[in-house]
Amino acid sequence: MKVHPAAWVVLVLLFAAVVGLQMIQAAQPPLRVPNGASTNVLYVSSPQVLGRAALSYRALAADIYWIRAVQHYGGTKLSKDPNKQYDVLYPLLDVTTSLDPYFDVVYKFGSVFLAEPYPGGAGRPDQAIALLEKGLRTRPEKWELAQGVGFVYYWWLADYQRAAMWFNRAADMPAAPDWLRPLAAVTLAQGGNRASSRVLWTEIARDGDADWLRRQATFRLEQLDALDGIDVIQRVVHQYRGRTGMWPASWSEMMRAGFLRGVPTDPTGVPFQLDPVTGQVTLDPSSSLNPLPAAQPTL
Amino acid sequence: MDAIRTEALTKHYQVGFWRPRPYLALDGLTMEVGQGEIFGFLGPNGAGKTTTLKLLMQLIYPTSGRAEILGKPVGDVGVKRRIGYLPEQPYFYDYLTAEELLQYFAAIFGYPPAERRRRAAALLDEVGIGAERRLPLRKFSKGMLQRVGIAQALINDPEVVFLDEPMSGLDPLGRREIRQLILRLRDRGCTVFFSSHVLADAETLCSRVAILANARLVAAGRLTEMFAFEVRGWELVVSGLNEDVLARAQQCRHVIRATRLAEGRYALELPLAPPPERTLAELIATGAALVSLTPIRDTLEDFFVRQVSAGGSRPRLPESA
Amino acid sequence: MRVIGHVAVNVFKESVRDKVLYNLVVFAVLLMSASYLIGELTAGQDVKIIKDLGLASISVFGLAIAVFIGIGLVWKEVEKRSIYTLLAKPMRRQEFLLGKYCGLVLTLVINVAVMTAAYYAVLAYMQAMSPPNLRASWPAPATDPALLKAIALIMLELMLVTAIAVLFSTFSSPFLSAMLTTAVWVIGHFNQDLRDYGATIPSPLAAAIARGVYYVVPNFSAFDVKLQVVHAQAVPFSYIGLTTLYGFTYIALVLVGAVIIFSRRDFK
Repeated sequence: MKVHPAAWVVLVLLFAAVVGLQMIQAAQPPLRVPNGASTNVLYVSSPQVLGRAALSYRALAADIYWIRAVQHYGGTKLSKDPNKQYDVLYPLLDVTTSLDPYFDVVYKFGSVFLAEPYPGGAGRPDQAIALLEKGLRTRPEKWELAQGVGFVYYWWLADYQRAAMWFNRAADMPAAPDWLRPLAAVTLAQGGNRASSRVLWTEIARDGDADWLRRQATFRLEQLDALDGIDVIQRVVHQYRGRTGMWPASWSEMMRAGFLRGVPTDPTGVPFQLDPVTGQVTLDPSSSLNPLPAAQPTL
Repeated sequence: MDAIRTEALTKHYQVGFWRPRPYLALDGLTMEVGQGEIFGFLGPNGAGKTTTLKLLMQLIYPTSGRAEILGKPVGDVGVKRRIGYLPEQPYFYDYLTAEELLQYFAAIFGYPPAERRRRAAALLDEVGIGAERRLPLRKFSKGMLQRVGIAQALINDPEVVFLDEPMSGLDPLGRREIRQLILRLRDRGCTVFFSSHVLADAETLCSRVAILANARLVAAGRLTEMFAFEVRGWELVVSGLNEDVLARAQQCRHVIRATRLAEGRYALELPLAPPPERTLAELIATGAALVSLTPIRDTLEDFFVRQVSAGGSRPRLPESA
Repeated sequence: MRVIGHVAVNVFKESVRDKVLYNLVVFAVLLMSASYLIGELTAGQDVKIIKDLGLASISVFGLAIAVFIGIGLVWKEVEKRSIYTLLAKPMRRQEFLLGKYCGLVLTLVINVAVMTAAYYAVLAYMQAMSPPNLRASWPAPATDPALLKAIALIMLELMLVTAIAVLFSTFSSPFLSAMLTTAVWVIGHFNQDLRDYGATIPSPLAAAIARGVYYVVPNFSAFDVKLQVVHAQAVPFSYIGLTTLYGFTYIALVLVGAVIIFSRRDFK
C-alpha cells in the first residue's frame, strides 16, 4: 500500500504544532544566566586554545564572537537591571581580535563600547586602550588604532600629554591624514580646548564608517556649539548685570532691554535656561544635548 | 482461486537525472498460476523477471495493472503470513548467526520462542546446514547463504513460495538437493513460483512455464503443450562408415548432417522420412556398424531461444511521460 | 507493535556486536583521568570543570552515535538488500522504520544511562575527597540531582537528532545524510542568534527569512541547560515540560515525514 492520505494531514498538523510550540517557547522569559559567570559562548576563555580549536575557521569564529559581543553590549545597555554588568565585553572582544587580528571594526567600535562611561558602556577606558594597543602589536602601522588611543586619552581620561603623544605617533604612520600633526600640536599646547575637540569630531563626522559613529560626532559637535553659545550668552548676561547691577530675571527682560534680539536657543532649538538668582546660563534640562561634557579649562 | 494472478502488470522507471527518460521494465504481464503447481518463470537477463517478483512482493509499485496473491491484492499483510520469498543474491545481517536470523524472522511471524527455535532447527536441517548454524553469517559462503535464504523463505510453512534464482551459487549436489526440496514442497501442497535461467531444472520440475523477453511475455502454458515433444528427427551413430557412402546418402537427403567423431565413426542426423531403419539397413549393407539410434525432440532450450529471438526488441515508451 | 519491538532489539544487537558500546569505556576513562589531572592543577574550580566536561562528553558521545549509526540505519538495509526479505514478511513499512528508530534510541538510552552512572560515580568520589569548607563554597553539591535535568534534555536532543538522521537515511547516502544532519544540528544551536539577527538586520526580506528559519529549524539551543545546572540556577519544571513537549512533537513530525518518504519508495 502506498501512503494513507491521513498521513499527509497528520504531517501538516504536526508541523503547525511545532511552529506553534516554538512561538510559545520564544515568548517565555529566558533562563537566567548567572551573574558574573562566563557564558557558554566564553567557555573557552583562552584565545590561544580557542584559536587552535577553531582550526581553519578562525575568521568565522571571530565573526560569531563579534556578533555575540555586539549582542552582549546592546542587551546589557538596554537592560533595566540595576546591577547589570558588561563583564564579558572585554573578554569577548579580546577573543575576537585574537582570532582575527585584522578585524578593524572590532577595535573601533569595541573601544567606544568599552570607554563609554557606565551605564551606557563598560566605563573602562583602560580596557579600550588595551584593546587598541593589542591591535597595534599586530598592525604597528595602522594609524587609526593609534589615533583611537589618543582619542580615549583625550576625551575620556583628559590626559592631554599622552593624547598628544599618541596623535603624534599616529601622524608618523604611513598614509596618516594631514590633520593629525596639527591636532597633536593643538592638543599639546592647549589641551582640552574646544578647538581641538572640534577638529577631531568634525573629522569623524565626515569620515566615520558607520551611521552610528557619524551621528555621535554630529551630536558632540552640537554640544560644543552649545558650550560656545552658552559662553557667548553668559558674556551678555554679565554685561547686563554690569549695566543694571542685577542679574536678569528672564530672556524677555534682556530682549526688552535690547541686549538680545531673540530667545537664545541651543543647536537643537531648545531655549537656554537662565537662573535669575545666580545669572548662570545653562542648557534646558529637557534638551537632548544633556549632559554637556565636563567643564573644560578656561576659554 | 489462483495462487498468483496478474493483469496487464506494467512498470516503467525514469532513468537519468536531468532529462529523465522512461525505461520499460515490464509491459502488460498477464498470467495465472494455479495452486499446488510448480511454475517456472524464464527469460534472459534483463527480461523483467526480477521486476515481476519485486512487484509481487511490493518492493516496487506498478505503474499500471494489478496483481493478486491468493485472491488478495499484493501487499496485503495477512497474505504475507502465508508466503515466502527468496531474493536473488540474498544478503542477511552478517552479525547474526544462521540460527538467530531464522529465529528473528520467526519472531516477526509471531511464533512463541520455543516454536521459533524448533522451526529454525528443522529448516536448517532440511537445507543441509549443520554445525555452521552457530557461526555469524559473515563467515558463510555463497552456497551456504543460498541455503539459509531458502530456509528463511520456508520459516512459516508458506502456501506460496517465490524463489528468484534458487540454484544460483550451488554446486551440482546442492542443486539436486534443492530440486528434491522443491518437489517435496509441491507434494506438501505448496505452490512454487521460481525464476531461473537454468532451463534443465525448469524442464525437470515445472508443470507450467512463462517465458519473458524484453519486458514482455512471449509464451506461457504447459510444457508438454508448448512445443512438440514429438520426434522431429533421429540421431544415428555408426562406425566403419565409408566416406563415399556417406556422400551419396547426403546427396539423396537420407542424411541431413554428419559429424565426424573419429576415423569412420560418425554421428548422423536423419530426417523423419524415410524411416531410419531403412537408412540404417542401407549403411549396414555397405559395411557400417550400428553404435546408437536416438530420437531428436525439441528441448526447452531450442524453444526458448526461438521465442526470445522472435520476441523482438524492447518496446520504447514515448519520451513525454 | 510487537514487530517494532523485534526490529528494535535487532538494531540494539547490531550495535552491541559492532562494538559501538566500547565508546562507554573511552568515556569513563576520559572522565576519570580528567578529574584526576584537574584535581592536581586547580583548586576549587575542579568540580565545576568536571561537571561541565561530563555533560559535554555525554552530549558529544551521544551525538556521534546518533549521527553515525542513524545515517546508515535505513540506507544500509536498502543498499545491501537485506530489506527485501524483511519486507516480504508480514511487516508494514512503517513498522520497519519505527523499529529501527526505537532500536537506536534504546542503544542511546543505555549508553547515556551508563555514562550517567560513571559520571555520578566520579562526582561522588570528588565529593568524598573534598574537605568540608571547600564543599561549602560550592553552589550545589557535586552529586547534584539537578544534573539529571540537563541529562534528560540531552537525551531528548539525541532522540531528535536520531530522528533527523533516520529521515535523511531514507533517501540519501550516508555521507550526504551526515552532512545534512550535522548542518541542521549546528543551525539549530545557533537558533537564538538567528532570532536576534532577524530582529536587527535592516532588510525586511532577510529578516523574514531569518525568522522563518528560526521557527522551522529545530531549536536545539532550548535543550541546552548545562550552564544553568552547573551553576545551580533554577530550571523550572514548566520549562522542561514545554521543551519536552516541543521535542516530542518535532520527533513525531520528522518520523511521520520519514514514514511517508519510505512508504513511497521503489526499492530498485
